[in-house]
Amino acid sequence: PRSPLLSPSVPYDTAFNPQLEELSQENKDQAVIRSKHEIEENCKTQSQQTTLPLPSQLDTGLALNSSSGSSSHSHLHPADGNSAQPSPEKPHSLPLASITPMTPMAPISECSGIVPQLQNIVSTVNLACKLDLKKIALHAKNAEYNPKRFAAVIMRIREPRTTALIFSSGKMVCTGAKSEEQSRLAARKYARVVQKLGFPARFLDFTIQNMVASCDVRFPISLEGLVLTHQQFSSYEPELFPGLIYRMVKPRIVLLIFVSGKVVLTGAKKRSDIYEAFENIYPILKGFKKA
Amino acid sequence: MSGGGRCPDCGSAELVEDSHYSQNQLVCSDCGCVVTEGVLTTTFSDEGNLREVTYSRSTGENEQVSRSQQRGLRRVRDLCRVLQLPPTFEDTAVAYYQQAHQLAGIRTARLQKKEVLAGCCVLITCRQRNWPLTMGTICTLLYADLDVFSGTYMQIVKLLGLDVPSLCLVDLVKTYCSSFKLFEASPSVPAKYVEDKEKMLSRTLQLVELADETWLVTGRHPLPVITAATFLAWQSLRPSDRLTCSLARFCKLANVDLPYPASSRLQELLAVLLRMAEQLPWLQVLKLDKRSVVKHIGDLLQHRHMLVRKAFRDGTAEMDAGEKEPQGQGQGQGLGDGDVGSSSLELPAGKRPASPALLLPPCMLKPPKRVCPIPPVSTVTGDEDISDSEIEQYLRTPQEIRDFQKAQAARQAAQSVPNPT
Repeated sequence: PRSPLLSPSVPYDTAFNPQLEELSQENKDQAVIRSKHEIEENCKTQSQQTTLPLPSQLDTGLALNSSSGSSSHSHLHPADGNSAQPSPEKPHSLPLASITPMTPMAPISECSGIVPQLQNIVSTVNLACKLDLKKIALHAKNAEYNPKRFAAVIMRIREPRTTALIFSSGKMVCTGAKSEEQSRLAARKYARVVQKLGFPARFLDFTIQNMVASCDVRFPISLEGLVLTHQQFSSYEPELFPGLIYRMVKPRIVLLIFVSGKVVLTGAKKRSDIYEAFENIYPILKGFKKA
Repeated sequence: MSGGGRCPDCGSAELVEDSHYSQNQLVCSDCGCVVTEGVLTTTFSDEGNLREVTYSRSTGENEQVSRSQQRGLRRVRDLCRVLQLPPTFEDTAVAYYQQAHQLAGIRTARLQKKEVLAGCCVLITCRQRNWPLTMGTICTLLYADLDVFSGTYMQIVKLLGLDVPSLCLVDLVKTYCSSFKLFEASPSVPAKYVEDKEKMLSRTLQLVELADETWLVTGRHPLPVITAATFLAWQSLRPSDRLTCSLARFCKLANVDLPYPASSRLQELLAVLLRMAEQLPWLQVLKLDKRSVVKHIGDLLQHRHMLVRKAFRDGTAEMDAGEKEPQGQGQGQGLGDGDVGSSSLELPAGKRPASPALLLPPCMLKPPKRVCPIPPVSTVTGDEDISDSEIEQYLRTPQEIRDFQKAQAARQAAQSVPNPT
């Protein structure tokens, strides 16, 4: 089945046929590099066109790739007999000229082939009206209000499975969604609930405040070595916490790196920051594979 | 030099403004008659510049050392003395405390935090000079919670932009082992349990090094590993008499607290030693278990580098190779088991050393506690229509509201009934 990556609005070389197949060694490196280009390209287009359903489709395509089991990295098999297909003998730079974006790119390094999965999105929205929290707690089944403990109503909906904190000023925080679109949909549903309760709720300044993602590099990491060489970014205190806290400067993301190879990325406002941060850290982690 | 005034007494125009102490006066320079006087007391508006300024807004605070800072500095010095640190450490720790006190966030913090801050400064000084001081020790001395300590420690390291090196494991082993009271016979320590300090130290160091090489130290609190290593070293130096002694009893004898994870580290270390023993032909025939392997720790440590290389294959290389084959999930542990099984089928058991196990941290070797399902593909756009029925499922019907209100009122009534005294 064709992957939803091939939407007409995506500026890829449409000769690609992203079927999930095992590749021979020569094609593997090129395809892996190509998929990195697609991640970066897609992220660039996504940041420009936020209304397009690209991010979820990207997630779809690559999630399918990475979940196809431990038997393959996210490979993309180039279509055979196509003029755009590079021959294995040519150096990498030539065939990629056709899809190289206008902006200069970072030097082509080994792509990780791993995509961090988003676990939590925190967003805020302004309903722009004063709310009577007691009334909301009385009329809504899914609301919890204990003014002595916390000065907001805690409301939950089932689909998308999220929790919202609704304050009497009309501001609302929505947490628990697994993607930006889900967070927006959930926030709209909460606003609709508040509307149905008789308040003139609007939907102003919806902003994603934080995104948390996690992934697994699948090899053990020597945290002592990492803190020695990157000590200006890392904080590793085994007496306090088993993971290493890496504060990346560009993009401004905090990564929690564990000895098992699991990595948690947080502090992002955009999905592309997470992907960029992971692509930055992956070569560093590979350097510390062996104890 | 006033314009147009004349002395009422002598009529002279030479009037001079002069002050009698702080009182302004207009005086005739010829006869000395006081023409006008200033007011000795000033009005509220006049006192604008003379009004009292709060201490925090004055410069006095910067020039003096405040009482809380004095107390904190005293605390830092006391801690250094109790820990018997070299004298230069005290000056550095005091300097850090003063630096920290300049920061607004610290100056206005609660007293509890300032107490803990004294400990943080001492700890940072020790770490930078490779003096093995654990956070646990400092927290015990300060009677502080580790959570409070950790928060303040991380904050101060970030705010002062300090580079704090990791705890030096070798030094920690030396100081910690020396604190075990096993080097002299006493009423509580029978002669067969007494051990030579140097021998025990060197063996413990080798065991800790082995633990470090086999992923048992990374990500874990360092102290329990050392406790387990010390115990094994002590046992192995005279196994016939000491195998009967348990870890808990050992710590009690030695007058040292037993950290909770130490028994788990002990099991892990024994498992590593058992794998190594499988590579030595004269130990293979003995079919060792976790108790009997202790007798041979000396041999195993002597050849530890070679044995580790033979007993364990690189878990990382195995990972890349393993992914090509359709082995299913698991971090290659299935491969490990499969290999051992197949090797024992090929040859009679015991004739060939066991196939290498994966060298991975224990958390990667254990099966995952719960399988994380890959989230289903989401095609949400965020702009979908929201049906009324979906929203109404979350709203109470009028009847439900009435019931809820009744229930709430009943609960309030029950709570407000005064208790009979």
